Amino acid sequence: MLESVITQITQWLGEDAGASLAYITNGKHMAWYASVRYTLIAAVGGAVCAVLFGLTGAALKQSSFLPFKWIGDFYTTIVRGVPDVLFILFFPLAFEKTVEFVLARFTCSSESLAVATGWPPCDAAQWYLRTGDYLTMACVSLGIVYGAFAANVIHGAMQAVPKGQLEAASAYGFTPKQVFWRFRVRQMWIYALPGLSNVWMLLLKATSLLSLLQIADIVQWAGRLGSANYFPGVGLVHPDWRWKYYFVLFLFFILMTMLSERFFEMLQRRASRGMALVESN
Amino acid sequence: MKRLVLSAVLAVSMLAAPVMASDTIRLGTEGAYAPYNYFDDSGKIAGYEIDLGNAICKKAGLTCEWVVNEWDSIIPNLIAGNYDGIMAGMSITDERKKTINFSDEYYPVAPSLYAAAAGHKVDLSALKGKKIGVQGATVQAAFAEQHYAADNTILSFETFDQSVADLMAGNIDVLLADGDPLTSVVEGSKGALVFVGDGVAIGGGVAIGLRKKDVELAKKLNSALAALKSDGTVDKLIKKYFEKGPFYSK
Repeated sequence: MLESVITQITQWLGEDAGASLAYITNGKHMAWYASVRYTLIAAVGGAVCAVLFGLTGAALKQSSFLPFKWIGDFYTTIVRGVPDVLFILFFPLAFEKTVEFVLARFTCSSESLAVATGWPPCDAAQWYLRTGDYLTMACVSLGIVYGAFAANVIHGAMQAVPKGQLEAASAYGFTPKQVFWRFRVRQMWIYALPGLSNVWMLLLKATSLLSLLQIADIVQWAGRLGSANYFPGVGLVHPDWRWKYYFVLFLFFILMTMLSERFFEMLQRRASRGMALVESN
Repeated sequence: MKRLVLSAVLAVSMLAAPVMASDTIRLGTEGAYAPYNYFDDSGKIAGYEIDLGNAICKKAGLTCEWVVNEWDSIIPNLIAGNYDGIMAGMSITDERKKTINFSDEYYPVAPSLYAAAAGHKVDLSALKGKKIGVQGATVQAAFAEQHYAADNTILSFETFDQSVADLMAGNIDVLLADGDPLTSVVEGSKGALVFVGDGVAIGGGVAIGLRKKDVELAKKLNSALAALKSDGTVDKLIKKYFEKGPFYSK
């Protein structure tokens, strides 16, 4: 199928066009295109985690029980202040060490623990991390970092829900729990969505850090493909082309931003259905 | 809620923590050091070390799995257990021997060479005030640091490709690198780059880096490697990837 397309292009547009097409569709480039899945998984997984962490954080900040409120405030203040690069490096390593510590407690014999000099103390406590594990941890890391931003947005949005609505709900005999979920949370989305769309854009950009976790994502492949090659045995001989590949990534992220904006506009329209308030703004 | 999520993640990852089969070993490589290791057109890891590593594993009755890891963290991640051996064009040095063990060499000592832009005058016997490029954490980096750091600026790059790109762009005056990859670069540069002066022999041959405690594994790999050297497989692979040798058979 692909070969016949390349032959067609060669006939219509000449050898150069055919060769270029063959080059950008070889296995190496296909691996690059396919690696987009890591970016998308990390973005969507990270966003789901961020919303969960955000709702939890906002609920904690909202809590009238002081220790909960402190935890919520602590979370949003501290985590928002830590650079995402640092967190993506720190969290997976710390988590791996913790898991290995727990494994060592249960699997290593006491003799091996006594003589152990390195880490982990015995082979059974070794946790081999694969791309899937790293990806999961990247999602959780992104979720924790951007959840802190989302928590603030959601908390603010909850405050923006008109008091009258909540008082009316109480007056009708809804329990505090029902008032929270069916009135506050249900109505806060229209106030939260613009802020959450911002958080999503930041999160999407942060997925370019996946290569830090040895995940062969689009950024890593772009670097590999663009690096100068002078060895004919390796493939096409070309000088440093990294800027071309990074430019393609530019376009990719801009496209993703445009699509995201559309998507959030649609969500906003959905969330505003039947809400009288938005019109007055 | 948060605790629930965390403990769920913990539980899942405990289940997922794979138990290594006894006859599988994981080999770490860089994938950016042709012809030793690189990504071929089909997007798979390939090169002299990949073919050789697979041959060694076959001979030793092991299953090999390749892990791509950045050069600058390749030793720490071996010690951390992300893989069991390093095959990434790594020379034997006393410095590295302090932290890891080496198998017997599988590629003889090749001289390190200097390259500069054509027409750019560099006098190696009197290097002063120059920018000298090396790849970080290599034998060349240690050599440059020792011999040239007093009067020159040493710039170290994360990958070999980056050091070449900066030499091309004129950001460094001279590049000191491993002879084999540098030769393919200079030959392929169509005259833009030239060799300067004579090479220097730095470090020992190239070998598999192993954890110090894995003595059994080292024995296994060494006997497989010795068998492949004597039956000519190693030389055949050197011929395939380096053409000119040096070879092990006399």
